[in-house]
Amino acid sequence: MATIEMIGVRKTFGTTVALADLHLQVESGEMVCLLGPSGCGKTTALRLLAGFEQPDAGQILVDGEDVTHVSPRHRGFGMVFQDYSLFPNLTGRQNIAFGLKVRRKGALETAETVDRLLAVTRLEKHADKYPHQMSGGQRQRVALARAIATEPRLLLLDEPLSALDAQVREHLRDEIRRLQQEVGVTTVFVTHDQHEAMAVADRVAVMRDGVLEQIDPPRVLYSRPASQFVAGFVGTVNRLSAERAVDGAWFVLGARVEAVGDTVAVPDAVPVVGEGATADSVPKHAVVRPEQLHVNRAESGAGPVARLVALSFLGAFTRAVIEHPTEGLVTADVLGEAADGLAVGDAVAVSVRPGAGAVVLQ
Amino acid sequence: MSAVTRRTDVPRVQVPSASPARPARGPARHRGLRVVRWSFLTVLGLYFLVPQLAMARFAFQNVPVVLLNASTLFSKWSVSSLVDALSQAALWDAAKTSAMLAVLSVVLDLALLLPLAIIAEIRAPRLRPVLSALTLLPWVIPPIALVVGVAATFRSVAPGFLTSTLSLVPFYAIWAMPFTYRALDSGLRAINARTLVEAARSLGASELTVLFRVIVPNLSASIVAASGLTAALVLGEFAFASLLLKNTLPTYLVNYQRDSPQAGMALALAVMVLTALALGAVVHMLRRRGLGMSTTGF
Ligand SMILES: Nc1ncnc2c1ncn2[C@@H]1O[C@H](COP(=O)(O)OP(=O)(O)OP(=O)(O)O)[C@@H](O)[C@H]1O
Ligand SMILES: [Mg+2]
Repeated sequence: MATIEMIGVRKTFGTTVALADLHLQVESGEMVCLLGPSGCGKTTALRLLAGFEQPDAGQILVDGEDVTHVSPRHRGFGMVFQDYSLFPNLTGRQNIAFGLKVRRKGALETAETVDRLLAVTRLEKHADKYPHQMSGGQRQRVALARAIATEPRLLLLDEPLSALDAQVREHLRDEIRRLQQEVGVTTVFVTHDQHEAMAVADRVAVMRDGVLEQIDPPRVLYSRPASQFVAGFVGTVNRLSAERAVDGAWFVLGARVEAVGDTVAVPDAVPVVGEGATADSVPKHAVVRPEQLHVNRAESGAGPVARLVALSFLGAFTRAVIEHPTEGLVTADVLGEAADGLAVGDAVAVSVRPGAGAVVLQ
Repeated sequence: MSAVTRRTDVPRVQVPSASPARPARGPARHRGLRVVRWSFLTVLGLYFLVPQLAMARFAFQNVPVVLLNASTLFSKWSVSSLVDALSQAALWDAAKTSAMLAVLSVVLDLALLLPLAIIAEIRAPRLRPVLSALTLLPWVIPPIALVVGVAATFRSVAPGFLTSTLSLVPFYAIWAMPFTYRALDSGLRAINARTLVEAARSLGASELTVLFRVIVPNLSASIVAASGLTAALVLGEFAFASLLLKNTLPTYLVNYQRDSPQAGMALALAVMVLTALALGAVVHMLRRRGLGMSTTGF
């Protein structure tokens, strides 16, 4: 268990900037997921941590000790790769024992550790199979056991589940989390699947173009995203026009909203037009999640009206797509039976639920 | 490449995809294709078999050559010519020399190319095309040029060198490079050597442990294939040995056949059959270990 710090880490490949200026701190025993679109530098960050690449600038600290130039062999980190990379010439048991043998642990101690790990990863029956005789899920469990057998200070996982099918993936995801918590090992888990990240992480680090956009617990990330990018990356969002009142409060779809996130980017010096009305001429936008919106049937009166164009039943809620006269297409989630009275083609009124958080952007 | 591991001798019958527009024509066309395929295989088989059969008759039938026709197909078969050939002490000397040359060439070749191929794959991928081109050079330069060039150099620098039989080893090692390098290179890529090395290093393995516990065991198919090919090349090489006046198995065979054509032919056939059996055994062994020829690069 150890605290990991990446300080101002920069890495370029030729003219490609893989990591611009990465600051990341992982607390002891914590599991941080690196989340971000393809090519944002997640793998690069992990490989730098592992020591397979050297940064152009910056430092990597483990418990305050600089390991930037320590070889991977002496870092004492465990690594799990996307393609398992088990040693094909060794059985499951021998694979798990590899790190212990290299460290010249006694035969008895090695056998004990391996047996214990085989038990916790439920691999007893497959221990003596060679990798090519195992299923993908079994291989990845062996890889996981192999990585934690040496009691690493830090466990690194690079998209360990992406080669598996949905069911195995979810199962193994929970297993990795359980094991991580049991062992209490500090872990960095790379994924581009937001559900995976939200499900297992203590904190999720959202990366974009080689920089860290936000690092927060999943709940905070979802309810208080620091930017539109983060908001859009972790769930569905609507981009609606926002207005600012004299007292600085924000209004979306006529309702007052609590502003979070990027509001600081909005200039304060804005011309005041009238009480409770628009405050300035600069267009503003709010990012609002579907469940923060409320949908009602409305009497079709004169003038343009919002109309329901699609409804899809998703179990606990029904997702409604509304053609709004000024906002364009708006997605809203209707909970439970409230959706029963709605039909495609209905005239509806859309409003923001009272007290819903929203991201207001310039 | 992996097709080599499959049985290709039986053409696979593809189920004609349902095409309701032309229900009758599909299977008919398919049958036509099958006929073409079988005739092709038959012609090819005959092309290989007929000369061998002729050789076998010449070598193992004690019938004058002019009488070797259809009517004498089953008369006077005997292995006496082969027994004759095998009883020559000079044969065993030559065979011993060739075997030694084969082993030394394999060792030298692997010692040179294994580290190079590993470094190129793991540390400097940019070197790969360069190495691949360099290792092809021996095939572009004819043996005579190599021998004349190298011989001239050595005769002035180390006059004793060329008189030794061992002087063939460097030539053979160079000559076998294209095979060896390709086998090792594609083997390294097939086992995904780079991530294996990273996995081993993050588990605390030293460079030597990585080499001998991870790379070499997983590369065994390629190493065996490379060694087998190098050995086969050396055992059959005539030009260098003849130009440098060495007594190896091929030069012995040629000389021996000049004196006793029938026994020479029997010996040649026996060598051929033995080689085929040895190759078959290697492939069988690799397959039993779950290693297809696909990991060897051929
Ligand atoms: N060895 C390399 N040589 C050149 N460019 C590289 C190398 N490794 C990574 N890059 C570049 O660095 C950037 C970040 O790559 P990285 O592999 O870290 O992305 P990633 O976030 O892991 O993406 P993905 O989700 O697709 O795996 C990319 O633009 C990539 O092309
Ligand atoms: Mg990646």
